[in-house]
Amino acid sequence: GQFLGVYSCVTCIDTHIWCVCVTDEVSAIVLDLGSHTCKAGYAGEDAPKAVFPSVRTLTFLCYVYVKVVGSLDQMEVDEPDEPEKNSGAVLDTKSKGKRKLYVGSQALGFRRDHMEVLSAMKDGVVVDWDIAESIWDHAFRVLAVDTSVSSASVLKKDRPRFRDLGIKRITRSEQIQNALTHCENLTCLANFTIENLLKTKAGAFLETLRRKLNGAVILVKEASWECLLVDPKEHPMLLAEPSSNTQQQREKAAEIMFEKYQVPALFLAKNAVLTSFASGRATSLVVDSGGGSTTIAPVHDGYVLQKAVATSPIGGEFLTDCLIKSLESKGRTIKPRYSFKRKEIRPGEFQTVDLDFPDTTESYKLYSQRVIASDIKECVCRAPDTPYDESSYSNIPMTPYELPDGQTIEIGADRFKTPDVLFNPSLVQTIPGMESYAETASSARGLPQMVIESINKCDVDIRRELFSSILVRVLLLDLRLCSLLLRRTVLAKLAGGTASMQQLKERLEKDLLEESPQAARVKVLASGNATERRFSVWIGGSILASLGSFQQMWFSKSEYEEHGAAYIQRKCP
Amino acid sequence: MAVHDDCKLKFLELKAKRTYRFIVFKIEEKQKQVIVEKVGEPTESYEDFTSNLPADECRYAVYDYDFVTAENCQKSKIFFIAWSPDVARVRSKMIYASSKDRFKRELDGIQVELQATDPTEMDLDVFRSRAN
Repeated sequence: GQFLGVYSCVTCIDTHIWCVCVTDEVSAIVLDLGSHTCKAGYAGEDAPKAVFPSVRTLTFLCYVYVKVVGSLDQMEVDEPDEPEKNSGAVLDTKSKGKRKLYVGSQALGFRRDHMEVLSAMKDGVVVDWDIAESIWDHAFRVLAVDTSVSSASVLKKDRPRFRDLGIKRITRSEQIQNALTHCENLTCLANFTIENLLKTKAGAFLETLRRKLNGAVILVKEASWECLLVDPKEHPMLLAEPSSNTQQQREKAAEIMFEKYQVPALFLAKNAVLTSFASGRATSLVVDSGGGSTTIAPVHDGYVLQKAVATSPIGGEFLTDCLIKSLESKGRTIKPRYSFKRKEIRPGEFQTVDLDFPDTTESYKLYSQRVIASDIKECVCRAPDTPYDESSYSNIPMTPYELPDGQTIEIGADRFKTPDVLFNPSLVQTIPGMESYAETASSARGLPQMVIESINKCDVDIRRELFSSILVRVLLLDLRLCSLLLRRTVLAKLAGGTASMQQLKERLEKDLLEESPQAARVKVLASGNATERRFSVWIGGSILASLGSFQQMWFSKSEYEEHGAAYIQRKCP
Repeated sequence: MAVHDDCKLKFLELKAKRTYRFIVFKIEEKQKQVIVEKVGEPTESYEDFTSNLPADECRYAVYDYDFVTAENCQKSKIFFIAWSPDVARVRSKMIYASSKDRFKRELDGIQVELQATDPTEMDLDVFRSRAN
């Protein structure tokens, strides 16, 4: 048959279908390792094929590729006979002791005794290179899969919430139909391992296709569809790096890419620059608030002004923790998914039975709670119109939310208090249970303050332009309100910070125009399209790497061998 | 991104001989070069200029802005406008944004640069304020 263009299958998380996709022309790979999610895919495409969400077990989307967990990995398991089939992840048995490494959202969705959850990143930059490597390994490697009943049931329990991503759930037959329509001559196969697949007729066809097109074949299995079956040796790699990355970290990343993965060419692009370009601006102030941290970076003519970059440890995860503690202080504990079982005793009636796993680590418990709390946050939290204060929000109507264990909780003031921590970290002191963070929070500055400070560290000439193009990439909250609030608070701070928020509007703007023309146009922008927002960095990288004019900018392997890793500074300014 | 000779030529004519009020440049992605899309006569107005900028596509433009200073002198300044509307395709925005620097360097004599993502960012008020 004819193969034309890119074929992709739609798969929903709940099935056991092997869906096969073949891509066309091999091109550069764009990799964006964030503290919350890792996004990987091919240059020239509109969205990453492989998105690895870290805290959510939800595996995403419309393309069948892969999702790998970004920030979670190293875990310790004491049971040597752990059924590998359940992990759906790569198992890496380290020689020292019985340590096993799991990467992948399915792997993390399965509770194991003594399993710790660790992250590769802190404050938005990579701190543990071993972990980062294993994440990249996972991104590139094929996961040998095996369907087992137990893994299926684990997944069924972790029924993901689609609402926040706006994805429609489709039925199994629809999936098969979609898969078949999209993949001419390729069949959807169930329960095949890769070796078996290749032995079949369809497999042989795939192999021929793959060789003919010199393309990558992506095999996905629902349970662990977390791989981009790709040989990094064949693809130039564009890595999106945090704007606050140090020289040392860049060199280390270059080293790993060239030595371990043997990439033919590499380019490191700063997140802020990619976001800026993706919105059509060569100069802007990028406010990036992701899972692990918030970074504010001014970009001028395509270059990040390093001295003015500001970071804060307050990100989505921190806000989730605030919510957890706040609910706990009100007597509502979030029961992690593994700690209970729901049985249908009569049709429609469920009984919740508590399960006890004394050997579960604190980190795993917290991780599991965060998954749930994160969903609560995304569903009910909204950035407040005006800065949060206890009295104004004391009578706010409560919003109900049904927890996975069947209980319903009511959330009132926390809906607004939690997001406001981003703008006003001192609020943390009013949340009981967050005392250990009070110190971090007191030294952290709120978003508007960081914005102004960052701009003030830049040259006077470009400040006006920066004020008028503040790009906001806050992934985890209602962006529109967030942007509005940011704008108001920035204006307020410029006005002296004590202006009553009620009268902010036109009066303030009028006053500011008279006093300081540079603040006249504080424009806070946010892309309306959710996918674009989520992947703006990745999209920027994808386009950049596919531009004809960019091809001469790659840092090639031969250059690396000749000049060493330090040369990266010259090639990737 | 290559720059077609015509771009530089027309720009020099605008600068030295005031032959044009404005020039609109377009990036031809397939040919990988910047070309002149439109030029405006000196008699044309600012409105004529903005009507030549597509609402949903990116462009570069040069505009010869005439104004009167506080001391009542007739002056003019050459503005470079990077037009990247929010509704344009991401790919288009990316290409224009990343090539801007290199292109601008080819046009020697630009006095003011504007980055506009919607019409308000390049309206006459902005021109006026930036000219001084």
